[in-house]
Amino acid sequence: MADSSQNVRDEIAALLPRLRRFGRTLARQREDADDLVQTAVERALGRTDQWQPGTRLDSWMFRIMQNAWIDETRARERRGQTFVAEEHGEQIGVSTTDAQIDAIAVRKAVAQLGDDQRAVVGLVLVEGLPYKEAADVLGVPVGTLTSRLARAREALQAILADAEGTR
Amino acid sequence: MMTKWTDDTLMAFADGELGAAQRADIERELAADAALRQRVTTLTMQRERVAAAFAPVLDEPVPDRLTGLLRPSSTSPTSPSTAPVVNLGERRAARERSARLPSWAQWGGLAASVLMGVLLGMQFKSSGTDAAIELRDGQWVAGGVVEQALAKQLASQPVAGAPVAVQLSFVDKAGSYCRTFSTAAMAGLACKQGERWAVQSLAAAASIPSSAVRQAASALPPAVLSAVDQRIAGDALDPVHERQARDSGWRR
Repeated sequence: MADSSQNVRDEIAALLPRLRRFGRTLARQREDADDLVQTAVERALGRTDQWQPGTRLDSWMFRIMQNAWIDETRARERRGQTFVAEEHGEQIGVSTTDAQIDAIAVRKAVAQLGDDQRAVVGLVLVEGLPYKEAADVLGVPVGTLTSRLARAREALQAILADAEGTR
Repeated sequence: MMTKWTDDTLMAFADGELGAAQRADIERELAADAALRQRVTTLTMQRERVAAAFAPVLDEPVPDRLTGLLRPSSTSPTSPSTAPVVNLGERRAARERSARLPSWAQWGGLAASVLMGVLLGMQFKSSGTDAAIELRDGQWVAGGVVEQALAKQLASQPVAGAPVAVQLSFVDKAGSYCRTFSTAAMAGLACKQGERWAVQSLAAAASIPSSAVRQAASALPPAVLSAVDQRIAGDALDPVHERQARDSGWRR
C-alpha cells in the first residue's frame, strides 16, 4: 500500500494552493490560514486509509480543514483569545489596480461574516463545489446549506454596498 | 413586477444547480423580464467577484513548511542536495495544475452558460446595436461592432467616441492572438480561433467602474483581467507588433 499512500500525498501536494485559498476564507489571515492547512495535512496523512478512492479528495481535505478550524475556534475561545479580523499587509500602493482594490474590499467583507457563512462562501462561491458536495463537507442537509448561502450572499451584498456608499 | 421565482430558486439557477426543465423556464423568461435579469445578474456577478477576490492566493508561492510535509519521505532526510530541485519542479507543476483552470471552468460549464445567457440577454435588450456577441456552432464569438473593432482597432491608438474600446493584445499559451474589449454594457476577452474571435471571458457593465467606454486595461473588471493572466504567454504586444498582427489578419 506504500504506492497508493504516496499517490495520495502527491495529490494532496497538488491541492495545496486550493487548500490555502479555502483556508483564507475560513481564517481571514494568511498565517492562521497556513497553520490551518498544516494541521489539516498532518491529520490527513495520519489517516490516508480513510479516504475512499473515487470520492473527491478536495472535499475530503476541506472537511478535515473545516473540522480543524472548529477545533481551533473553540480552543481559542477557551483561552480567551480574540481573532484579528483584518488581513495584514494589504496596503493600497501606487501600482494597485482596480481589480486588486476590489479584491481587498471583497475579502474584508467576507471576513465580517460569521464562521458558518464564511465556510459556505468558501466552498461554493470560491472553490466552486456543487451544493450537495458542499453540504457533505459541512455535514449538513442541502436545505441548510442553501439557506446559509442565501443569508451569506445577502450579508455580503449589504456590507459591500455600505462600503461603496462611504467610499 | 414581482415574478413567481423565489430568491432561492434564482440563486440555484445562478449557481448552475437547477434541472434542465426549470432552467429552460427561467431562461425563457429572462429574455422578456428586465427585473428578473437584474436579480440573476446580481447573483452571478457576486459569485464572479468573490471568486476573483480569492483567486490570487493560487499564485502565491506555497510555504516550504507545507510542501515539506508532503515530500516523499525517502528523499527528504538523506539527499538534501537534490531535494530542492525536485521539489521546486513539483511545486510549480502542482500550482499550475490547480491554478490554471479558467474561473468559469471551476464553476462548471453550466454556470458559465447561465452567466453568458444573462449577460447576452442584457446586451440584446439594452442596446439598439447589432448583436455584439453571438452563438455560432455552440461557441460564443464576437460579432457586429465588437468583431469589427477586434479586427481593425489598435489598442495603441484609442479611437475617441468609438462604441468599442480595445485595451490589450497578446499571444496566448496556445499561440493564438487574444484581445480585451469593452463596450458601454460589457467587457471581455476574445481569442482568434480560425476566422472567429472566440469569447473567453465576459463581464457585465455593473462591474465596470464607469458607464463610459474604458480605454485603460486597469479599468477592466477583475474577472477579465484574471482571464488574461491565465492565458497570456509573455508580455502584451507592443504597438509595432500589434500593427503587424492586425495587418496580417491576426493569423500566425
